[in-house]
Amino acid sequence: MINLVNIRLMEKKDIDSVMEQLLRLKHLNEEFDPLLKVSVGNEKEISEKLSRIIEDKENHIGLVAEDGKRLVGMIMSDVIFRIYYDPKYEARIREFYVIPEYRGKGVGMKLLDKLRELAAERSIKMITAEFPSLNLIASKFYESIDFKELIKIYSKIN
Amino acid sequence: MIMKDSERTEYFDRNAIEISKKYKGKIQTLPKVPIKGMEDFSSLYTPGIAAVSKKIEADKELAYELTGKWNSVAILTDGTRVLGIGNVGPDAAIPVMEGKALLFNYLGGVNAIPIPLIVKDNDEFIAAAKAIQPYFGGYNLEDIQSPRCFFLLESLQKSMEIPVWHDDQLGTASIILAGAINALKLVNKKKEEAKIVFNGAGAANIAAIYLFEAAGFKKENIVAIDSKGIIEPSRADIDALMFKNPWKYKIALETNGERLNGDPANAFKGADLVVSASVSIPGTIKNEWVKSMNRDPTIFALANPLPEIWPEEAKKSGARIVATGRGDFPNQINNSMVFPGVFRGVLDARSKGVNFQIMVAASQAIADFVENPSEDHIVPSMEDFELFPRVASVVARKCVESGLARKSDSTEGFYRTASDIISKNRNIYNKLFDM
Repeated sequence: MINLVNIRLMEKKDIDSVMEQLLRLKHLNEEFDPLLKVSVGNEKEISEKLSRIIEDKENHIGLVAEDGKRLVGMIMSDVIFRIYYDPKYEARIREFYVIPEYRGKGVGMKLLDKLRELAAERSIKMITAEFPSLNLIASKFYESIDFKELIKIYSKIN
Repeated sequence: MIMKDSERTEYFDRNAIEISKKYKGKIQTLPKVPIKGMEDFSSLYTPGIAAVSKKIEADKELAYELTGKWNSVAILTDGTRVLGIGNVGPDAAIPVMEGKALLFNYLGGVNAIPIPLIVKDNDEFIAAAKAIQPYFGGYNLEDIQSPRCFFLLESLQKSMEIPVWHDDQLGTASIILAGAINALKLVNKKKEEAKIVFNGAGAANIAAIYLFEAAGFKKENIVAIDSKGIIEPSRADIDALMFKNPWKYKIALETNGERLNGDPANAFKGADLVVSASVSIPGTIKNEWVKSMNRDPTIFALANPLPEIWPEEAKKSGARIVATGRGDFPNQINNSMVFPGVFRGVLDARSKGVNFQIMVAASQAIADFVENPSEDHIVPSMEDFELFPRVASVVARKCVESGLARKSDSTEGFYRTASDIISKNRNIYNKLFDM
């Protein structure tokens, strides 16, 4: 199955499928932490935002995994300029999702490898990943491939 | 029919309270050795008994030969899912565990001891269970909520050198498989081709799906249904199952090869067997669903006290074989047919564990026990006491073949052992109660 999965840059035709996966990811986050309550009825705004991100190739790298015509996973990262630190650029993964049937088969690694490759081509030497503290699936995944915890975000709703 | 049930329920309720008040407990410790007076205690207890302790200190395994460990089972519960009454806590679970201990003893000749635990999470449960292990040859987990029960069973099975069983999962799954084997045989259907629907995704049905797979049924031909409809991987709530209930998550990914979705009706279409452990309201399974099944369909409507469809209704809609969880209809699917024999077997083999292959062998033995299966007789009846040593011998032998047994014997040898233990134990009852 994994051999048939192709990784390519995200395009505008992918927006509907990507949005569906994003919402599944956000609902999963909600299960982990009630502070991440998903708001409803934002499809139009999400779609517009995705459209802008896909156009802005300078500041974003977005990839999808497809099996035939079916989108089975995606990864989205922001290119960040690190004014105080070296190395100077990082690609920060903000969204990363593989549909359940394709998990545990290397699709996620394939997406991540392609992102690293594209980042390297642009001399982006650091990859970071942002995800909810309580998302055990994500923390387990990144720890297994030697990522270390770097920044914490605390929150309080007033 | 419903009225009659409620009257009967009231009678049993009243009677249970009266018996509990009168006897103040259902089990007690009795001696196995003759005692004439205090002088006997010089060998039964100190100073003589220290010599036995020294032997066990030198070889821990000798506890199986020199003490009652070989025949002792702990019934462990946190009281989080007691019968149909829910999370009543470990104290309120005591009467139920005492009843179970009595069944263990009466049917299987096993010394089972209720151990309700005050624990706040999985780790505490596991720590407590491990701590009390020395005296026990096996553990039976009982009345623990799902999915905690899966986690505890898996962790304890992996980390302990004795068989760990969760009757609500494994006992029920085994008797369902036994019934399914005979039902399919009766209507000439092959397990490799049979399409099976599991209506309800509680502990028993989830365990049954894994057991059916171990028995040679095809995962792709199995469809599971829960309160949200047919389970399939693209359903939005499946993501969260990955950490909430990995056992159900795996089922969502691996079953349902056709990727059916939505209403249960879609799953019933063309199915050969429906195993329902769902809502206890007749009509939960609709007549039209049964009508849409494959030729000679079988329905296991196992909800208690009321089945999801009355047997008569199911038959009217074309069901060839119907089983329920009740004793007042033919084909009672009851886990009490499984655990006494299974435990007798694993204990007699001094087994280090129990697994799905051993359970498949137990289910096959239960199915084979019914010599001439018919539509109204696919599983043994609760009066077939001969069943337990038979199952025990097959289970014990399978433990030997799986390399889990500490003690080896032939099937016939194990049969004689089990039969002897159970009948001697029955004699104790006869003497105690002048029967």
